[in-house]
Amino acid sequence: MATVQVSEAEKVYILHGIRDDLRVDGRGCEDYRHMEIETDVVSNTDGSAKVTLGHTAVLVGIKAEIGKPRPMVPKEGYLEFFVDCSANATPEFEGRGGEELGTELSNTLYKVFNNKKSVDLRSLCISAGEHCWVLYVDVLLLQCDGNLYDAISIAIKAALFNTKIPRVHISSDDEGGKEIELSDDPYDCMRLNVENVPCIVTLCKVGHRYVVDATLQEKACSVASLIISVTHKGTVTCMRKVGGGSLDPESVYEMTEAGKRVGKTLHAPLMKLLQEEESLGTKRQKVGFLG
Amino acid sequence: MPTDTKRVRGPEVSQSPSLFSCKPAAVLPPHGPRADGRQRDQVDVRPVFVRCGLVSQAKGSAYIEAGNTKLMSCVYGPRETERKDETDMKCGRLTTDMRFAPFSCPERGSWIQGSQDKDLSLMLHESLQPAVCLHKYPRSQIEVNVMVLENSGSVLAHAVTCASLALADAGIEMYDLVLGCSIRQDGSSHVVDPTYMEENSCGSVSSENQGGLTVAFLPSLNQISGLQSDGEMTEETLTAGVRTCIEGCYKLYPVIQQALAKAVRRAAAPPSES
Repeated sequence: MATVQVSEAEKVYILHGIRDDLRVDGRGCEDYRHMEIETDVVSNTDGSAKVTLGHTAVLVGIKAEIGKPRPMVPKEGYLEFFVDCSANATPEFEGRGGEELGTELSNTLYKVFNNKKSVDLRSLCISAGEHCWVLYVDVLLLQCDGNLYDAISIAIKAALFNTKIPRVHISSDDEGGKEIELSDDPYDCMRLNVENVPCIVTLCKVGHRYVVDATLQEKACSVASLIISVTHKGTVTCMRKVGGGSLDPESVYEMTEAGKRVGKTLHAPLMKLLQEEESLGTKRQKVGFLG
Repeated sequence: MPTDTKRVRGPEVSQSPSLFSCKPAAVLPPHGPRADGRQRDQVDVRPVFVRCGLVSQAKGSAYIEAGNTKLMSCVYGPRETERKDETDMKCGRLTTDMRFAPFSCPERGSWIQGSQDKDLSLMLHESLQPAVCLHKYPRSQIEVNVMVLENSGSVLAHAVTCASLALADAGIEMYDLVLGCSIRQDGSSHVVDPTYMEENSCGSVSSENQGGLTVAFLPSLNQISGLQSDGEMTEETLTAGVRTCIEGCYKLYPVIQQALAKAVRRAAAPPSES
């Protein structure tokens, strides 16, 4: 991850502040930074979203393609994740520098969605064993200021909400083979149910306390973080400890409970916001990338 | 997808014969006894065979067998590091690499490292790093390689144990041994140290609370150095699962300590006669 150099005096300052529940920018330990979400920013995709969390900016584009289902699960489609750390974010990502971080993020995303309930994969099936929808979720990091996992997961949820998959009709042609036809009407499409898509909460252990949505300076003061992905019901789909330090079991239990609490409260306002944005329809003021 | 250009491959569309088998994969009943006779809902880890000092060329090595899972690990180092960043001046660097032999799983794997191998190597690295005293080895690099010879479940947990044993055998200074334990939650019951079948069974009809959890633990210091879970579980189940894994690690600790002591005694010079 992009790092900043933090002096010892600064580390002590941040540590003492967090101990008293006051962070450098005035937030409490469980507060997020200012978040901006916009969907449908890229017109060539089937679904897209851009999320700005403080100075971290993430762009997600989803393209749906017709492919062959996996052999072990012939009646389901699947999702493929790819995270690209653009060199725009920091010069460390130039060339192949961002590859390691990108693979780590995509592997975690695979784990987060590796359960039957997050996305209804059966709705992505066209004909069992032969054709299915494959959703390619491509994440692009535009700016990096800490807390990538949270921003990426919110952007993916917004982009999946925004995804419009065209409806297909299967007809059999003369030789008995199957022919796939896309409907002509661009508005005749299938939407995904994103109720159960989880959101990731990253908790950084700083001193004896943990903080949500750490900036790069706070990250430099912590040795270990816990990533926990929570659904709107409060169930946990993935939990991982990252960082080169160790955690006390009691801290792990505390952080899990806090992560679940924070994660659960993220979903309701997010869904409300997405539905409001959707209801504005063509009257919506598009902010785009310069806002 | 990287392809292996050094081998003559079979036909492009070859598939595993298990896809064509007539009987469906046996779904283990969620409430019966486990296939190998161990108990559900109890900390019943498989008996473990460990031996250190197998590979003569490596500084330290270890071999672990738990049920049918077989892993070996080698440690090379500390050796001088190639890249000289500023951070290397103050403390050492630990590199980990975990690979599966292509014949280790029921489905043939490839020699090229897939994303799963990279992911496991990263988790191994995160689990081992808190335990190694890297500040005692500035400008050095310690390499840990783990090779899975047979995958019969709970591979990451045993890899962590094996790697930390190899590090100890190599004489690398550590704060404590790192032990790994994993569980698989299936509905309301859980199984500790799952086998391959138990890990990959599609699960019972009630798909509530399904998932797996692996914990890497430092027993003397009571610290968790690695934690990873997937599937979908409630927070209470996860917390209970972490406690169960910690108990499993405590059960394993005396065996590992004994194996290490035996290896050291064997390697040490016999006491002089005078």
